[in-house]
Amino acid sequence: MAALLDIRDLTVRFATEDGRVDAVTGVSYSMEEGEILGVVGESGSGKSVHALAIMQLVPAPHGRIETGEIWFRESDLLTLKGANMRRVRGKQIAMIFQDPISSLNPVYTAGFQIRETLRRHLDISQRAATSRAAELLDLVGIPDARQRLRSYPHELSGGMRQRVMIAMALACDPKLIIADEPTTALDVTIQAQIIELIKRLQVELDLTVMWISHDLGIIAGLADRVNVMYAGYIVERGLVKDIYARPRHPYTAGLLESVPRLDRKTAGKLKPIPGRPPNLARLGTGCPFAPRCRHGDDRCRAEMPDAEASDQDGHMVRCWHWRHVASGETGAGESHA
Amino acid sequence: MLLQAKPALVKAMPERPVMVEVRRLKKYFPIRRGIVFARKIGDIKAVDDVTFEIHKGETLGLVGESGSGKTTVGRALLRLLESDAGEIILDGEDFRRLKGKQLRRARRRTQMIFQDPYASLNPRIPVHGIISEPLEVAGGHSRKELRARVDELLDMVGLDSSIRNRYPHEFSGGQRQRVGIARALALNPEFIVCDEAIASLDVSIQAQIVNLLEDLQHRFNITYLFIAHDLSMVRHISDHIAVMYLGKIMELAGRDEIFDDPQHPYTQALISAVPVPDPEVEESRERIVLEGDIPSPANPPPGCVFSTRCRMAMEICSQKAPDYRKIEIGHYAACHHAAGAA
Repeated sequence: MAALLDIRDLTVRFATEDGRVDAVTGVSYSMEEGEILGVVGESGSGKSVHALAIMQLVPAPHGRIETGEIWFRESDLLTLKGANMRRVRGKQIAMIFQDPISSLNPVYTAGFQIRETLRRHLDISQRAATSRAAELLDLVGIPDARQRLRSYPHELSGGMRQRVMIAMALACDPKLIIADEPTTALDVTIQAQIIELIKRLQVELDLTVMWISHDLGIIAGLADRVNVMYAGYIVERGLVKDIYARPRHPYTAGLLESVPRLDRKTAGKLKPIPGRPPNLARLGTGCPFAPRCRHGDDRCRAEMPDAEASDQDGHMVRCWHWRHVASGETGAGESHA
Repeated sequence: MLLQAKPALVKAMPERPVMVEVRRLKKYFPIRRGIVFARKIGDIKAVDDVTFEIHKGETLGLVGESGSGKTTVGRALLRLLESDAGEIILDGEDFRRLKGKQLRRARRRTQMIFQDPYASLNPRIPVHGIISEPLEVAGGHSRKELRARVDELLDMVGLDSSIRNRYPHEFSGGQRQRVGIARALALNPEFIVCDEAIASLDVSIQAQIVNLLEDLQHRFNITYLFIAHDLSMVRHISDHIAVMYLGKIMELAGRDEIFDDPQHPYTQALISAVPVPDPEVEESRERIVLEGDIPSPANPPPGCVFSTRCRMAMEICSQKAPDYRKIEIGHYAACHHAAGAA
C-alpha cells in the first residue's frame, strides 16, 4: 500500500512567556490510503498542533515548524507556499474541528458556506454549486437538504452543525480528512450518530481519516491504527487491537487502566496515573513521562529513547522498559473484579 | 408517592437512613416575550415532577444529555434556585420551607463542587483565603484555628500546606479542583452536589479526583449527588443511578441493575452509545443509534417526552405520559413498555 501521508521528524516550536516550548517533537509516521488513524493524547500532548502543522495552520508568529518534512502524495507540504498550499488545504486535505458553532460563520447560511468552499476550489456555476451543496447535505444525513441550505448556523442543533462541517469538508472530494475531537462538544447519543456517519462515509467514499481524540473508547471502535502522544512525542504507535490488548508504553498502559469501563462491574478503586502532565517549557533531556512512571529510573530521567520497533510488525514504542511493560505486570485488560 | 415505601427499597444492604428525599419536584422557567410589557407565553419545564431519594453515605448518579435538567435538579436541591413545587426533605427537615437562621444553618450541611475549576475559584484570592472563606462566614474561629483548619483541609485533599499562599492561576486543573473540594469540605457538609466535577479534567487526572471523592465519602459518611454525562465514571462511583431526559426521570435503579437490565428504551440507547475502550468488544457490540435530536424543552412532545426518538414507540406513547413507577424493588421507570417486563 502506498503511503498517502508521510511525516518525518516534525518539530513545532512556540515562543511563550516561559520560553521556548516544543509542542511537537520529532514526530515521524506515515498513513496509508484508506486507513483510519486514531491520535490519542491529553491536552498539551501535541495532537492538535501536529494536525495544524500538516495544514500549515500553526499560528504565526509564535508558532514555527522547526524541522521536518510532510510528504503528501508527491510533494513536501512544508515547501509549498501561498496559493500552492491553498490548493491542497480544503481541497485535498480537509479538517473538521471540535466546535462547529465557532467554525461556522454565523451571518451566512449553511448553503452559502458550502457553496463558497466549492467555488473556491472548483470551476463550477452558482447553480451547480447549489445542487452539489444539497447533495452533500443529503450525503451527511441532513433531512430536507434543499430547505436546510437556507438555515443559519444558530438555527441548527449541535449535531446538525457538525454534519454541515462534515459536508463542507467533503465538498471537494478530499483524499484525507483530519477530524480534531469532532464529537467532544456533542452529547453521547449524537456522538454515536456522527461516528456511524464517518464510518459509513469512509467506506462509501474511500476516505483516509485521521481522528484526534482524548477518548480511548472512540478510537477503539473506529480506528485501525493509533498514535499515542504525550508531551509532544509519539510514545507508542501500532494497530489498535494490538496496543489495547498489550500496551508497551507505561503511559498507554496507565491510561487504559485508569478509565472505568461501562461494560464491567467495578470493584475497589480506580488506578490513576499519579502526578500530572509536565510543563513543556521545563522539559529536560529525559523521558517526559518518567516522573509519573512506575518504571522510571536514572536512565529515563537522563535520556529520551528513540522510537524503537518492538516485537510486533509495524509497532513502535519510545520506552527503555517496554519489555517489562509488555510482560503484563501492568496488564490493562485485566478485570479488577 | 412511589418512594414512600421506604423499607425494602435497598435489598441486601443494611438499611441506611435517608439523607435526601425529593418528591414531585418542579422547576419551570418562564418564557417571556416583549420588553416593556413583557408577558409570559410559556414555560420551559426544566424539572418536571422528579422524585428520588439518596441514603446517607451513598451516591446517586444523575445522568442525561444537555437540556435534560440534571444541573437544575442539583441547583434546586441546594436552593441555589427556588423550585416551583414539590418537596425537598434534607435529613428529615423540609428544606424548601426553611427561612432565615434555620435556612442558613441547614445550608451549611450542603455544598457544591462545580465543573470548571478555572471559573469557580476567585483568581485574586490566595488558596488559604479561598478555603477559609466559608469558615469566616460561619464565624467563631480564631486566626490560629482557621490556619490549622486550612492546613488540615489541604492535607485531606492531597495538597501540601506550603501552597497556602499561592493563587489559583499557579495550579493545574486537577489541583484547582482539589482546592474547590477543600473549600466544599470546610464546614463538614453531609451532602454534596458534584456538578460535572471531573468533566473538564484530563483523563489521567479524572481517576485521581474520583478516588479522592470516594475516600472522603468513606471517611466522613458524605452523601453525593453526582451529576455527569460520562456514564462509565458514573457507573463506577454511584450506588444508584437516575437517567433524566427533558426534565423527567426515565429510569432509576441500582448501578449494576441499570446496566445489566435497563428497562427504558432511552437508557438502553444511552448505554449502547457509550464507546468502550476495547476494540474486541466494540467490534461485536450492537449499537442502538437514536435518530434526531433532543426536542426543545420549551416545546416537549405530547405523551412520553422520549416518544419522538423511541424505536419502540406505539400510539399510546404520543398520547399519554407514562407513570413513573416501580418495576422491581429499587428499580423505577417511566415507560409504557416497561410494564410488560415487570
